[in-house]
Amino acid sequence: MRLSLSARLALIFSLISIMSLSLVGVILFDALSDQVYVQDDLGIVLATRHLRRLAAELDTTEGVREHQERLVSLVLGDPALAMRIEAADGTALIDYNPPHIHMIALPATEATQRVVTAQIHRWTDGGATPVRGVASMAALRDGSSVKISVARSMSDRASLLENYRNVIWATVTSTAVVAVVLCYLLVRRALAPLRAISASAQVITAERLDSRIDVKGTPLELDDLTQALNAMLQRLQLGFDRLWHFTADLAHDLRTPIANMRGASEVALTRTRSASEYQALLASNIEECDRVSRMIENVLFLARAESPQFALHRSEFDAGEELQRIAEYFEGVSAEKAVQVQVSGQARLSAERELFRRAVSNLLANALRYTPSGQTITLTAAQTDQGVSIQVRNPGEGIAPPDLAKVFDRFYRGDKARSNSGTSTGLGLAIVKTIVEIHGGTALARSEVGGVTTFELLFPVG
Amino acid sequence: MRLLVIEDERKTGEYLKKGLEESGFTVDLASNGIDGLHLALEDDYDLVVLDVMLPRLDGWGVVKQLRSKKQTPVLFLTARDAIEDRVKGLELGGDDYLVKPFAFVELLARIRTLLRRGPARQVEQLGIGDLEIDVIRRRVRRGSHRIDLTPREFALLHLLAERRGEVLSRTQIASYVWDMNFDSDTNVVEVAIRRLRSKIDDPYELKLIHTVRGMGYVMDVNEPG
Repeated sequence: MRLSLSARLALIFSLISIMSLSLVGVILFDALSDQVYVQDDLGIVLATRHLRRLAAELDTTEGVREHQERLVSLVLGDPALAMRIEAADGTALIDYNPPHIHMIALPATEATQRVVTAQIHRWTDGGATPVRGVASMAALRDGSSVKISVARSMSDRASLLENYRNVIWATVTSTAVVAVVLCYLLVRRALAPLRAISASAQVITAERLDSRIDVKGTPLELDDLTQALNAMLQRLQLGFDRLWHFTADLAHDLRTPIANMRGASEVALTRTRSASEYQALLASNIEECDRVSRMIENVLFLARAESPQFALHRSEFDAGEELQRIAEYFEGVSAEKAVQVQVSGQARLSAERELFRRAVSNLLANALRYTPSGQTITLTAAQTDQGVSIQVRNPGEGIAPPDLAKVFDRFYRGDKARSNSGTSTGLGLAIVKTIVEIHGGTALARSEVGGVTTFELLFPVG
Repeated sequence: MRLLVIEDERKTGEYLKKGLEESGFTVDLASNGIDGLHLALEDDYDLVVLDVMLPRLDGWGVVKQLRSKKQTPVLFLTARDAIEDRVKGLELGGDDYLVKPFAFVELLARIRTLLRRGPARQVEQLGIGDLEIDVIRRRVRRGSHRIDLTPREFALLHLLAERRGEVLSRTQIASYVWDMNFDSDTNVVEVAIRRLRSKIDDPYELKLIHTVRGMGYVMDVNEPG
């Protein structure tokens, strides 16, 4: 069962208050009843001791009967006390019993022994009335002995204690109830800012990501929460904006090849053409299809690489050797452009080899696009304290700072005039960045206008 | 060779049938999983080309039931290329998969590979026209001229000569020669072919490397088509 936080706190608080109040009640009750019984037991013992002393001054059992009034006066002060003196043969000499206690045969203390409260017996009279009493032998002057019993009916004390107990229970219960209700109300009140946060969260939708949760008036404890939520909204908003631009750019970029295919096909169909013209058209359409496929493949790659389920298949290899291999792949292209590609350095790298190749290939293809002929591109691998650094440096016009910030953006193309050339999808560097980032690294770009442009990939250690 | 194509998309089915028939195969076409499975079980085909998304019984269901009776090679065609989908297809008994959109020449190459039983024979000497390739010594001659090639140029020439008459796509070439298995926004393969041609073909009357526009490259004495 799921309980609200208010109910849960109220419940816990009420349990704690009931427990502590009950404990206080029990302690108070015990203290009072101890006190009451100690007083009464002392009364019983004192009366017995007085009776024994008086009896010792008497000569015979007859004397006991004669001095009945004197003896009884010793217990007159408490109407709940009863007293009985019997001869050795068991005949009652005095039987004073106003509280109508059913006297039982109590074991008697020897005449020479001191009577103390520890010898007090407790029993229940008629199944309801608690009774406490003590018995003692007393020696008369003539050497005969009598048995003195003193008992007290405790019904008055029992009802007092019961009243007291009832008052304690009533107090405990009502206090607990009040505590629960107050606690519930207080917690509810304290949680009101949370309800306000949830109310503001409810109006936030994909279209209204610009709204934020109001921080004013919330207690200090909730500041972290609201700030974290607002930061999350900020990130979501940025992500959505990026996604929105990405979708728009993608749609725009898809238009060009489709327009080409449609336009060229329509023109071809307006009149009868030669077989070679049809062949040229079909071949051109295939090229456009390839371009669309490549865009789809790249977009899917980015989407997949950024999904949390993406699994890296790392292996360990020498980054320098891989750079050499990639340079070899571009050997023809660079030779044709009369651009040198120099590879140097060694570094053990743990990464997914295929993705590493793809990232560096994209960087090198990019560098080749912008390097003037006769110049040299350098590829270097280096082991640093933080991990492995891969640099691709090329001379050229350089990239101006405002453009430099955007080079890794999707569909960003440095050279606007070339944006429609069939080869570039404008996703190459975005893919580079994504590949490095899923390896936990970073991609950096530095450039001097009219000088050297450097792309650096930093792969952290293992 | 008899092939069965199970594909519900009418246009795709038609061009696959036409293209494969023109490449010398006998082709039957089924447009849903139940009919396809029935045909595949009744007749003895050399290979089944199977679309994954099919009405009534999907490609996975077809291959599962087919495998309980027969070992006909199966090539999956799929528009979904998530790794799990590929793994599932191969685990259920598919022999290969190709992601849509694919180059037709690539489909042909895959089909031929699946039909070629056993490992490919390593040929020591290849000859096309007056071109001679000594695979072991890595030497190339045309007529009486010895031609010097870089290792990659040799690998490219070897691939084209070995697959004489077969059109190879740029992606296939990049994968075989450089082990680069991704599409990049580059014209590396075009340039490599151009440079190879400057050594192999340009100085001679008879051209051996031919461009099939939009599809790829083929090596033969005669022009294709």
